[in-house]
Amino acid sequence: MFAYEKRLQFPVKIKNTNPDIARLIMSQYGGPDGELSASMRYLSQRYSMPVKKVGGLLTDIGTEELNHMEIICAMVYQLTRDLSEADVKKAGFDAYYIDHTKGIWPQAAAGVPFTSLEFQSKGDAITDLFENLAAEQKARTVYENLLRVIDDPDVTAPLKFLRAREIVHFQRFGEALEMTKDTLNSKNFYHFNPEFDKKMNSSL
Amino acid sequence: MDSSNLCSCTEPLAMATVPMQEWCEPYDFTAALAEGTIFPCLNLTFYKAPEKKCTCKPCSNTSNASQKNREEMMSELSAVSFALNDLTLYLDTHPDCPDGTALFYRLLEQRLKLLSEFADKFYPLTQISMITGNFEQNKYGWPEGPMPWEGACI
Repeated sequence: MFAYEKRLQFPVKIKNTNPDIARLIMSQYGGPDGELSASMRYLSQRYSMPVKKVGGLLTDIGTEELNHMEIICAMVYQLTRDLSEADVKKAGFDAYYIDHTKGIWPQAAAGVPFTSLEFQSKGDAITDLFENLAAEQKARTVYENLLRVIDDPDVTAPLKFLRAREIVHFQRFGEALEMTKDTLNSKNFYHFNPEFDKKMNSSL
Repeated sequence: MDSSNLCSCTEPLAMATVPMQEWCEPYDFTAALAEGTIFPCLNLTFYKAPEKKCTCKPCSNTSNASQKNREEMMSELSAVSFALNDLTLYLDTHPDCPDGTALFYRLLEQRLKLLSEFADKFYPLTQISMITGNFEQNKYGWPEGPMPWEGACI
């Protein structure tokens, strides 16, 4: 089960209203490589993972991604909480405002709504771990793109933190891949699906 | 078909390898939070990211001593808790590392102490911290304090 702790994993204290930046950062909430997608990916995949320690890692990283989702939402909220009517008209936030006012809703920077098609749970440990390795790289690229266009230090500090987490998670998923490979025959990792053909795997 | 007679590949093909991390001495925990990892060997920076530590120190506009104390204590708690988060992922894939395990138990203890103290002095961050210290138990108490997304600069 999940229990709430009343603080952010990384503090967010943004002083300046900026709806333009809010619209860009929102992509890491509801976009294709966002934190919501990351969390749902790992928390969905973990049930059928054949190596127990890998299921444990997916639980811990999936939980951390929920923390990251909350950091992103807090950033969007603080960037828009003092939004004036003039801000709404002049900034690129107008289309979002029409549908959601200042409410927080998961969508990509270009307005595409969040969908579960943005992540996979394929029921094959090797396939899913490669999905996760790729997902961490894609999210890293998005954070780097954001860091390139944003100057406000109140905003870049949490973005820098979140980018660093992608690299750490990539390393851990790589190690999970090694742990999974250790249970398979290195002459042919693809002889059977370790999640489906359980009887074929004597080391589990 | 047994392919071993057909070619002389020694390494498995069509598979990727990521080296297992070796233990490296962690950053001090405040620096680790700003960098996003406790492990110097995993801190692979991006040239456009800010180098200096962030502005996430106590709100500069506060003259209220109690808020200042609260924010300092929250910073310490954030640093210790993050170190524990990062270390947990490391231990998930390195359960037999003695250095990591020793640090894990030290951090758990520090975190429990800080959570209890924070509840006693300010407001509870977790429900368990309402009974591990001296939190006043004649009131409900759980809704006390600002919600975390407000930024605590209020």
